[in-house]
Amino acid sequence: MEILEKGQGEVRLWDVDEARAWMRENKTRKLIDKVTDEHDAVERFVSDGDYLSYDLSSMVRGPMSLEREICRQRKKDLWIAAKFTLLDTSILVGGGCVSKIDVGFAGLGRPLFKAIEDGRVKTIDWSNGTLALRHKAAAMGVPFLPVRSLAGTDTFKHSGAMVVQDPYTKKRITVVPAVYPDAAIIHVNQCDVHGNCRIFGPSISPVETAMASKRVIVSTEELIPTEEIKRNPGLTTLPYFLVDAVVVAPWGGHPGTTPGYYTYDAENLDEFFAARDDAGVKKYLDKYVYGVKDHYEYLQLIGIERLTRLCENETIREGYRP
Amino acid sequence: MSGKFTDVEFMICQSARAVGDSSTVFVGYGMPQIAMILAQRLYAPDIIQVYEYGAIGPEVATPFRRNMMADARNSYRSYCWTDMNSMMAYAQAGFIDYGVLGAAQIDPFGNINSTMIGGTYERPGKRFTGSGGGNEVASLCWRTLLLMNHQKRRFLPKIDYITSPGYLDGSPGARERAGLPAGTGPSRVITSIAAFDFNPESTRMRLVALRDGVTKDGVLAEMEFEPEVADTIEPIEPPRPEELEMLRTDIDPDRVIIGRVK
Repeated sequence: MEILEKGQGEVRLWDVDEARAWMRENKTRKLIDKVTDEHDAVERFVSDGDYLSYDLSSMVRGPMSLEREICRQRKKDLWIAAKFTLLDTSILVGGGCVSKIDVGFAGLGRPLFKAIEDGRVKTIDWSNGTLALRHKAAAMGVPFLPVRSLAGTDTFKHSGAMVVQDPYTKKRITVVPAVYPDAAIIHVNQCDVHGNCRIFGPSISPVETAMASKRVIVSTEELIPTEEIKRNPGLTTLPYFLVDAVVVAPWGGHPGTTPGYYTYDAENLDEFFAARDDAGVKKYLDKYVYGVKDHYEYLQLIGIERLTRLCENETIREGYRP
Repeated sequence: MSGKFTDVEFMICQSARAVGDSSTVFVGYGMPQIAMILAQRLYAPDIIQVYEYGAIGPEVATPFRRNMMADARNSYRSYCWTDMNSMMAYAQAGFIDYGVLGAAQIDPFGNINSTMIGGTYERPGKRFTGSGGGNEVASLCWRTLLLMNHQKRRFLPKIDYITSPGYLDGSPGARERAGLPAGTGPSRVITSIAAFDFNPESTRMRLVALRDGVTKDGVLAEMEFEPEVADTIEPIEPPRPEELEMLRTDIDPDRVIIGRVK
């Protein structure tokens, strides 16, 4: 296949057969109990220098409790996949955890943009769609996938995509490489102790992200019996062998929303987005991330009254409960 | 401009009238969300809004919440919930009629920038969010509507960064030659004082309509490049009372997007 044009963005590749072998060796098929706490999960499965992917986000069903734990453990030099995101990137960059961002959407807030402008964080621009597709390629076990966006733009030039000649039609076609995250963090609605997960509602790419990643931590609003999974397997989004750790985290998406469960916490989000500089971000993180030892202490800080109100205010429930 | 409505309301009402009923519309973040809710409520009840996060055909619940996409209100009463790779595939396979996007800068060929202004790529003067799903929307939907607050610094002969494609360098068949789907591209630019289409021959922006009280020269003075000008320039009907009522009472009572008349 002839390369006709090449984006200059940095890409970390992994051989598909090495990836297959790794999945064979390291993703246990045993039905073991994977429930643990967030400290243990993040300590074991997220390392400095890792490529990290998360799903969903943008203040909706985001793995916020796990992101706060990553900050608390002062993970460094992460390369993150910012596909459809608002709060996550800002918190992880604010916590000093990130050195590179594959940008789908770099949001949100002035301090994040400032970090990019100052060169403290390197960006590699793609698009939401091509970042999701790169996860899909890895999830399919193929080295790249063709796509008809990106071409002709500066977004293409700064990405790691290529334009090649389609061997069948001889036309130009853009291809994007598979991305294999070292770690993925995914917030789900329900999950059993083995990691069979249910996600209710539309989503970005939870299945692709879990299948592509070497290690997968899920946080779940509710723990349910395996028998429940077996009774309605059509509701299962992720089968257990994709998952390495299960963390029970009610209100795990706070201050964002988990649709059908609780609405977003406007007051808390305003507090975060009011931060215009690093000092402002630090103040927020000191209070809500470093100032608490774990998710339960965080929930105490937010307070049961407010948390209950967020549930009451989530008036739309259709489609989010079996 | 000041008056009985805000510039954003003016743009939103124009956009809401620009999409046909029973069409599929890929909705971008922010202003396009409000515009398409208004379109569905008043003019196009069977419009199928589609969102990159996997909702097909929602009847978005209001009031609109700032910064929110993919929450329960945004996804309410959809026909189908799926995921991002599926949504981009729907657009790529030709099922999506319109895309609606906003941007920070635009050039004569409808290329748009939402990534950065000034400096270098590595050290941008001012960084923005980047593509999001915008590159897919502008690449893959049949027709794209672009919403631009009309300020001189946003209409440039050459923009700092092409985030999402218009007609690229404006040469014949530029999009197809780059590998983008044939027959796609921006169809209309809706601003706070005017509207443009694209001359099919030159693929350059062409002034086709004006806001009441604005002259052609007034528009040209607010652009760093000279667009083509249509033989006949239509007046743009200002926001109708029922549009403003719907926007201010039901859709955005907190005025987070539409703002307030000063």
